[in-house]
Parts: sequence; C-alpha cells; structure tokens
Amino acid sequence: MRKWQLLIAAVFLLAALFVPLFGLTDYTLQILFRVFLFAALGLAWNLVGGYAGQLSLGHAAYFGVGAYGLALFSKLGISPWAAVLLGVVLAMICAAMIGSVSFRLRGPYFALCTIAFAEVLRLVAKNLPNVTGGDVGVQVPLLFAHSPVRSFYWSVVLLTAFALGLSAWIERSRFGYYLMAIREDQDTALSVGVNAARCKLWALLISAAITGLGGALYASMFLFIVPDQVLPMEISTEIAIVAMLGGAGTLIGPLVGSVLLESAAEIFKNVFKEANLLIYGVLIIVVVLFMPEGIVGTFTRKLALFKKAPAVPFAAPVPATIEAESERAALNE
Amino acid sequence: MVNWFYIPLQGIINGLLTGALYALIGMGMALIFGVMRIVNFAHGAFLMMGMYATYVVFQATGVSPYYEFPLAGILLFFVGYATYMGLLRPIRGQVDFMVILLTMGLALVLTDGAQLVFGADYHQINIPLLSRNIHLGSQISINAPWLVSFAIAMALAGALYWVVTHTMFGRAARAIAQNPYAAPLMGINVNRVQAVAFGIGSAAAGISGALLLPVFYLFPEVGNQFKLKSFVMVVLGGMGSIQGAAIAGLVLGVVESLTSLYWGNEWALAVDFVLFILVLSLKPSGIFGSQRA
Repeated sequence: MRKWQLLIAAVFLLAALFVPLFGLTDYTLQILFRVFLFAALGLAWNLVGGYAGQLSLGHAAYFGVGAYGLALFSKLGISPWAAVLLGVVLAMICAAMIGSVSFRLRGPYFALCTIAFAEVLRLVAKNLPNVTGGDVGVQVPLLFAHSPVRSFYWSVVLLTAFALGLSAWIERSRFGYYLMAIREDQDTALSVGVNAARCKLWALLISAAITGLGGALYASMFLFIVPDQVLPMEISTEIAIVAMLGGAGTLIGPLVGSVLLESAAEIFKNVFKEANLLIYGVLIIVVVLFMPEGIVGTFTRKLALFKKAPAVPFAAPVPATIEAESERAALNE
Repeated sequence: MVNWFYIPLQGIINGLLTGALYALIGMGMALIFGVMRIVNFAHGAFLMMGMYATYVVFQATGVSPYYEFPLAGILLFFVGYATYMGLLRPIRGQVDFMVILLTMGLALVLTDGAQLVFGADYHQINIPLLSRNIHLGSQISINAPWLVSFAIAMALAGALYWVVTHTMFGRAARAIAQNPYAAPLMGINVNRVQAVAFGIGSAAAGISGALLLPVFYLFPEVGNQFKLKSFVMVVLGGMGSIQGAAIAGLVLGVVESLTSLYWGNEWALAVDFVLFILVLSLKPSGIFGSQRA
C-alpha cells in the first residue's frame, strides 16, 4: 500500500516536471506553483503536525522569516542564494526558540502558543518600518533570471519531491517511530526512553527549514512582500488544512490535499466569484464530517477492508511457543 | 492636578471599559473550552453575526442596540446549539485537530456569507448617546456608550458566573470540565450540557457583538481580532476557568489601553501576545487558573 502510494506520487511529480514544456500560460504555471508550494509546506508541516501529532498553527512564522530573510539579507549586499540560505538558518533559529517554549505545552495550549509567536512576528514586522519596510513592503531579488516562472515552478516541484523523499525516509527511520510514539502517547514514549523534547525539536527544525525555503521561493516569485502577505495566520491555517484534510500522518496526504484543495480554491474563485471562500469553507466542513481521518487516511482504511485476510485467524494468540511461531511462519509463506 | 496622574488614570478607566466587553467574549470562549476541550475558531464569526443581526434590526426599527442585545443573544444561542448538534456532535471522539478544523471552516462560511449579504463595506451606526460624555472632575471624561456597555457586560458576566456556580447546568458543566470520563458515569447528559454550553458561549459572543456595534466599525472580518484576543484571555485566565477569563479580559483591556497610550496603538495586539507567551511559558495553568496544562 505504502509502496504504491510512494510510486504513484513519484510518477506524478516526475510528470509534473514536464508540464511547463506544453506551452502553458504564465498564469496557469503560477497556480501550479502554488499547488506544489503548499504541497511542500504541507509535507513539512506533516513532520510536526502529522507524525509527531503537534498541531502547529504558526508555520507562517518560518514561511515569513524565510521570505524576509531573503529580502533583508540581500538588502545588506549579500548575494541572493546566500541570503536564501541565511533566511533558512534564521527560520531554524526561530523554530528552536519557538519550539523550546511551546513544546513544553500540550494539546490546545501548544496550538495557541504557536499562533501567538507567528502573530508577534507579523506585528513586529508591521511595526518596525525601518527594518522591514513595514506595510509599505520590501523588495525581494529575483532568484532565477532565466525564464523565471518556469524555474520557480520547477524549484517548488523539486522541493516537494525532496520533502516527500525525506518524509518517506523519516517515516521508516527510528526517528520517525519515535515521533509516532510521541503522537500516540507522549507519557508512554517518555517512559520507554524516547527523548520527546529533542525529537519534537528536530522535527520542527527540519520542518521550519523546508517551510523557510518555500517562503523564500514565494517571496522571490512575487518580488515584493508585505507582512500581511507572508506572515498572516491564513498561511499557517492553510498549511495545516492542506495537510490535515489530505491526511495528517500519512505519507502522501499533504500532496493529495494540496492538489485537491488548491485547485478547488482556484476553480471556486473563477466559478463562484465572491462566494469562493464560503464554498471552500463548506468543502472543509464536508471533508471533516465525512472523512475525519483525512482523504488519504480514510481511503487507506476503506481499502484495507478488502485486503487479503491473514492466513492465521486472529483468535490465535495462544501461548506462543517457538514451534507455534515457526508453524505460523510456514503457513504465511 | 498634575498630568502624570490623570493621563494614566484615564487610560486605566478606558481600559476597564473595553475590558468588560473582552471579559464577556472571553467567558463565552472559556465556557466552551471548559466543557469541550476545543478551541472554537468560529467564536469571532459568532460575534460578527451578533453585530450584523443587531445592525439589521437597528436599521429597520431604530431601537438602540442597548435594548436589542438580548435578540442577538437568543439568535446566537440557537446558532451555537445548532452548530453543536449538527456539526460537532457527529465528530465527537475524533482528534481535536478535526474539530478545530471544522470550526475554522465554519468561520470561513460565516465570514464570507456576511460579505456576500452585506458587502465588504464598513458600517457604523449613529445613536444620540454617542455624543454624550460624562465628566468626573476636570480631567477625566467617560464616553457614555462605553459606560452603558460596561454596565451591561459586567451584569451579564456576573449572571453567567452565577449560572455556572449555582445551577444544575453549571454544576454539570464544571463536572465535565473536571473529568469528562467520570461525568457521564454520574448520570450527566454530556451531549445536552455541551450543546447548551456551546449555545451560551456563542450567545455571550453575540451579545458582545451587539454591545460593540455602537462604538466600533462593522465589517465581515471584524471578529478575527476578537477571536485572537479571546484565545489570549482563555489562556491568561487558566483554560476553562470562566472567572479567570473575565479578570483576564479586564487586565487585557487595561494593558492594551496603556500600551496604546505610551507606545502606540499598533503595538497593543503585539503586547497581548507577548503577555500570552510569557504566561504560557512561566505559568501554563494561567494567572488565575488552577488546572495544569
């Protein structure tokens, strides 16, 4: 099941790389840019929100820091790509600070704390016009001089592929199992020796790095940013919605969520005009009501019903002697 | 006398007047959080609904919002009750994420719905009371509508506190807040109590909206800032403690007012959040709360 998902996602991303060669308009490519940008952001969020089960509603902080990092460091005369790197590092430093405070909290307290940090950053960016340009905004250097729209599109597809590969690897690593153990029951995880604080912080650092990179790409694509565009709560919630509706804690959930929701949002904008957010809200409600485990989560469970039943009936756990074990192994072959 | 005394005093008085409305909003949120353990992201949208409902009635009849606020309360009680019964109850027992997500979706629907019906324009109403000022001595002056809304909000906050501490509903709600597993074993109908609590919490938001209408601009996204502030209040007060949220509302009003006075209006919300982070990191149970985070 998981292998199939990964294969389909890989083929999909590979196909996506060739899309710009079919003479699409810049406008269409910009929409697709957004689709894959949020897929990458959702995958990054999924490490913290999905696998580790920590509902972060403040990922706009890392997005915005990545964006502003690029803008402000290059204003100091640093070359754009070095500024991107510095922005990503700055996003990770922010994550370390935010994480060290907020990870001590659980459940709704954690979610609210992450919102608060992101909002403080937004308000500081708004209220310090000397540093950030405030509401007037700040210019961002163009990262790709040659056919920019295509290049930006390719770069987010690659970022998505990277995030997907990393998630797949983490999901099967010891680190990933630690994260899932923390999600299922933090106290039990602690009691068997999982260093929950460190694991959660690492997950957040990785997540923030990808999110910051996404923010830098977004900023450079638009060439000009203001705080309400790259640091608002709407970015945080959109990232979380994409990942959760796709299926939090599933490998390809965020990708599926982003493709469906971002294209739905674009279609709604054209079809329903002013009512687009209303329909979008209804869509969220309907998915939550009828697929409470997310799209991918619910589908995998439905499909699992039709999987081949195990050879040994599940009433079997009689005292498992070595003979019985080997018998069962033989039966399974 | 001297200005260093009267200017901050005026600031504190203004803060308390705003804070009373915050307190009512925060108490509604705290009641919902206490019995359901979810953060209601539609709280601001409910407040906005209360404001628009009052606005419509005011435009049609000309009756001052200070008389028609019970209508907003009744309307929002039923909206909250129906929201719980229709949307939240079916997904009870699912992960908290999904419940939060649902309230976000609902907030989007209500906000955009208001924009479709009423447009994105800013509205303001004009009542004769707005131009009345009450002078205390030569230095302090209080705008009459704020004083009226302060009195109403404080009375309602007191009533809500009484309901929670002295009625069977209140006792059941506190029992659920204390232990959601033991409460049903003691014969408490959790569904009904949660539905009523959600209704009352939403009604508090709606009434606050009605009381805000004369002194505030009305537009579809007006609820967002109050939603954020109600998060702050619920945490400052200790999650689920409604008297804590009420005191936190007053504190927040004063802090904001003094911040605006000395540092500029644009920093008020930032100071709210810094206060919030400080409290969460130093004393996660809230300043006035006893529950452990």
